Amino acid sequence: MARKTVLQFLALVLGLGVLMACGLVSPETSFARTHPDGLGAGRPICSECHSNDVAKGSLKAYATFDHTPTFVKEHRFQANQDPNTCAACHAPSFCVDCHGGKVPMKPATRLADRPDRDTPHRGDYLTLHKIEGRLDPSSCYRCHGRANNDQCRACHR
Amino acid sequence: MKRRTYVALLATLMSATAWGQEVSLYGTTMAEMWKQNIPGSDQTTYTPATQYLGIDANKLGSDNLSLHLFGWGRADLSDASSFDGSKSGGYLNYGYLQYRFDQANAEIKAGRFTVNQSTGFEQVDGVSARTDLRGGFTISAFGGRPVFFKTVDPAAQSDYNFQHDFIFGTRLAWRLPQVTEIGVSYLEDGTKPAQDLPHPSLVDYTRRQLGLDLLLTPSSAFDLRGRTVFDVANHPDVAPGAPKHSDIAEHDYTVTWRLGSQVSVTGNYAERNYFAYFAGTNLPSLFKQDDNDMFRGWGGKVTWTTEANFQAVADYRHMHRETFGDANAAGGEMRWSFNEKAVLFGVGGRWVNAVDTKFVDPTQPYLSLSYKEARIWTLVTKGRFTASLDGILQHYDSGNPYLADFRNVYEVVGSLGFQASTNVKVSGDVSYGSNPVAKHETRGLLKAEYRFGFAKKGGQ
Repeated sequence: MARKTVLQFLALVLGLGVLMACGLVSPETSFARTHPDGLGAGRPICSECHSNDVAKGSLKAYATFDHTPTFVKEHRFQANQDPNTCAACHAPSFCVDCHGGKVPMKPATRLADRPDRDTPHRGDYLTLHKIEGRLDPSSCYRCHGRANNDQCRACHR
Repeated sequence: MKRRTYVALLATLMSATAWGQEVSLYGTTMAEMWKQNIPGSDQTTYTPATQYLGIDANKLGSDNLSLHLFGWGRADLSDASSFDGSKSGGYLNYGYLQYRFDQANAEIKAGRFTVNQSTGFEQVDGVSARTDLRGGFTISAFGGRPVFFKTVDPAAQSDYNFQHDFIFGTRLAWRLPQVTEIGVSYLEDGTKPAQDLPHPSLVDYTRRQLGLDLLLTPSSAFDLRGRTVFDVANHPDVAPGAPKHSDIAEHDYTVTWRLGSQVSVTGNYAERNYFAYFAGTNLPSLFKQDDNDMFRGWGGKVTWTTEANFQAVADYRHMHRETFGDANAAGGEMRWSFNEKAVLFGVGGRWVNAVDTKFVDPTQPYLSLSYKEARIWTLVTKGRFTASLDGILQHYDSGNPYLADFRNVYEVVGSLGFQASTNVKVSGDVSYGSNPVAKHETRGLLKAEYRFGFAKKGGQ
């Protein structure tokens, strides 16, 4: 009997919690799912067209998403905070070129016909990685610590 | 995940795409061939064939429900190209159902997906959800089983599977329009720390981390973004007299000033304490959790972009690793685009000065790992044809023990592509290089890319 009372109480609390949470949800409509116009080749500068706008949901100026060299290198912050904004132009498969969990070849080989893209490990990285890994193994860890390491395992046992 | 579970999941997901009103299928077939002439052994020929396949099925009964699948398979037609000797392989990179709400940027995902909404970048078989809240708040969470990776040692694999049982992450953030975003995140990867193992191990595959992230944009000319991650796991007490481990796993902050419309200056500071930052991995000799080592780096970058389609970048970085020594790196890159981006051209250079690096070779405690790198590339699009050329040269200091007196390493890649139709592109790459492993290396790659359906986006 006591157990039933506890369960009823928990169900009531859960129900009230859900109702309260629904009341907390923002009433704003979601960010556009697809960019309405096709974009040209090269890295887009969002603020060229969206000069004074604030991106819905992210509440940031579009200049925050300009694909500058710094953005390309540090995009993890934007991808972390505003994945919906990225998804307006990029399908998930775009990210998998590099962030695949496990990929059969290095991105620079897969995208050898796109020298304009900043793919990691261009050229003979097998030689270079012995130096870069010595200087800072934590920079390798971000991708190869949890995944993408089938090839590494052959030597780094 | 077991193979039969994989097959059942894939069959279910594939059949679900039949409900989609907008189904896009895209794939890339790649056939590679390369020959290696390794000093002291016979010439070897490799011919792996790789197939990538992705499906996006939208409007599955509801406008908001969609399904996304992506994976690949590889087979070696001659010698094994993988270092582990296997002649075939495959992987499901992601496969999930997604429901996106019309309101509050809310969404729910279920299946296999990657998440980076917490302190790390994780691959999960489970569920994730996010929504914006009133007052500028936003919240996200995920939970499930972490995707497993193989270890070489069976005992380590057993420990890994035991400890790596559940993963949970969440992030709560607050945004002030155009001014700031402050986030707090938490990650729990594995519920059974190493001290709970039947045979205690120094390697702990679990993580408990608390993250604080910040974006500050007081004006359109300035922004500061970064994060600090704390290790909040319960570790065994350190032995008396031993140095105490730092609880700070990572600081990583970047500040950008825009000086007018053409010039921006970026500064970065990063610090990582390996005991707190690393968890046990299947690469124990690479990511040594018990090293008590740390890395600190700072640097800057100046970018100049003209309206005449020219961009120049110059950067410098100082790196300090406690057990290894200091290194300095500097580089530059220039890019031009002509004829409405139909012709792209770039040159770049990089210089790494690591002249007094420690512990490379016990017989020679201080050695130079310095090198210089130069790169030149171009990409031309004319009608249905594309052509590219990419050359890279690395020149190493003498005495580098990794190179077997091989000081100049280079690779040249040429590519020619033909867009047969809107949905089909074929291309071929040929590369030639010389490196310490292979004196002469020639590679060929044929690629067919195809896309069918209604997709309007996807990494062009």
